[in-house]
Amino acid sequence: MSTVLKIQDLTKIYTDQAVKQTVLENVNLEIDEREFLCVLGPSGCGKTTLLRCIAGFEEYSGKILVDGEERKTPGTDRIMVFQDFNQLFPWKTVEKNIQYPFVIKGIRNKAELHEISSEALKKVKLEKYAKYYPFQLSGGMKQRVAIAKALALKPKIILMDEPFAALDAMTRRDLQNELLKIADEESSTFIFITHNIQEAIILGKRIIVLTKGGEAVCDKRNTMERPVTPASEGYGALWQELRDALYIHP
Amino acid sequence: MKKPKKERIRALVVKIVFVILMLSLWEFVAVSEMFGSSSKLIFPTLEDIAAAFIKNFTKGYAGNSMWIYIGNSLLLLLEGLAIGILLSFILSGLSIISRTVYAIYDLLVSVFDLLPGVALLPVVIIIFGIKPGVIVFLVVHAVIWPMSRNILDGFKAVPAIYIEAGLNIGLRKASLLLGVYLPASVSYIVSGLKVAWARAWRGLISAEMIFGVASVPGIGLFINQMRTNMKNAEMYATLIVIIIIGLLVQYGILDPIEKNTVRKWGMSR
Ligand SMILES: Nc1ncnc2c1ncn2[C@@H]1O[C@H](COP(=O)(O)OP(=O)(O)OP(=O)(O)O)[C@@H](O)[C@H]1O
Ligand SMILES: [Mg+2]
Repeated sequence: MSTVLKIQDLTKIYTDQAVKQTVLENVNLEIDEREFLCVLGPSGCGKTTLLRCIAGFEEYSGKILVDGEERKTPGTDRIMVFQDFNQLFPWKTVEKNIQYPFVIKGIRNKAELHEISSEALKKVKLEKYAKYYPFQLSGGMKQRVAIAKALALKPKIILMDEPFAALDAMTRRDLQNELLKIADEESSTFIFITHNIQEAIILGKRIIVLTKGGEAVCDKRNTMERPVTPASEGYGALWQELRDALYIHP
Repeated sequence: MKKPKKERIRALVVKIVFVILMLSLWEFVAVSEMFGSSSKLIFPTLEDIAAAFIKNFTKGYAGNSMWIYIGNSLLLLLEGLAIGILLSFILSGLSIISRTVYAIYDLLVSVFDLLPGVALLPVVIIIFGIKPGVIVFLVVHAVIWPMSRNILDGFKAVPAIYIEAGLNIGLRKASLLLGVYLPASVSYIVSGLKVAWARAWRGLISAEMIFGVASVPGIGLFINQMRTNMKNAEMYATLIVIIIIGLLVQYGILDPIEKNTVRKWGMSR
């Protein structure tokens, strides 16, 4: 398998405060193509910051390479799905939100645009809501649309920052199952941040635990057969190992 | 969210009753002539005002019907509004793209927003002479600063997540401005339009009253002519025209804009 994302000596210092704060220090990470990487870590360890650097929203020192080429600014090869439900443009309908990036790219053919949005909405089972405005959707539906919008662009990497954290347990389960299926069928690489060990085990093919400064203190392959449930063989051991990694390095 | 129907009807009834009461009071004062010899001047009867209202349009003054005055005023107003709104969008837009422009423009807006247009009138007349262009200038002045203030504030209030989502899908500078900043601050822009319109309308009438340009007689000049001729019923009738035009713009233009943007998008209540 080839490496899609290479992070070399990434250091991020926030300088907008009175005290300079080094959030990430010499982070090195390589991620394979079509990987589903889950990132665990205590609150404030720099998970969001790491994702924002990859997305190109932050300035940093070090290198971030996608397919061997350096990336410093945002681009459609790395699409971010935020935790915030309000990431869709409220002034555009669901389908227009999905079509918009393609309009920017110069695609004006209505039939083609419609094809793009309806195919993406089908993947998240929201075909019926194409004409709705975001405010008319529930939180879970908004996150589904955000995922559909990302999928439509067929990016190299989809960056997800606790996208399900604010959902109720049932909706969360549903979305995890959907995402699992989608990730199987798509050729994108997923980097998924979560606080939830169970979620990491259910979704991740590779799971890392970060500690302060962005150092990976645990890097596990998850070869359990899907779908994973707490009853799966090896679940308990992996859960314990991840939990220890999380709490031994506060 | 809409108020319940019952509540809205109640509010409407209260307003109608209030207006009828006020009009009856006016009529009572007018008919009883309780202010002595000048009573007829201060309080013409409603019939006189209504008759004057019609006469303003049919006969007008000095051979010009009210329509001509309204037309002249509205043309100047439209010209000033168009220039003012366009300029505020261009300059505020440039402020988003360049920090230097922002710093300078922010200062200019804060300073000039404090200056009433009529206070500028003497200087402007010295520079331009007495021409309709002066009125357009004053309307532009009335519009551009409040409009720009609102646009700048609106741009500043755009949630970072929309900007980042825009950057992520490939928007930059000008396209980000049009694709994210502008639609995201529509509620600010609409309230800017409301303030700008109100200021422009008042500024226009004041300017016309202070120096009506006889070659392009407007509503303000008409009021002044009625005043100097002691035709107070005609004067009141003209005030009603001014209010009606104001209401038409509010309910015919500004409200629909609001309904078709921020309300439709769930961005305001
Ligand atoms: N814009 C910013 N300016 C200054 N400091 C920041 C900024 N954003 C984050 N930080 C700091 O960087 C550190 C890491 O923040 P980050 O949001 O990456 O943590 P996180 O791992 O995502 O936490 P959580 O799990 O709570 O989301 C925190 O200590 C925070 O105070
Ligand atoms: Mg975070």
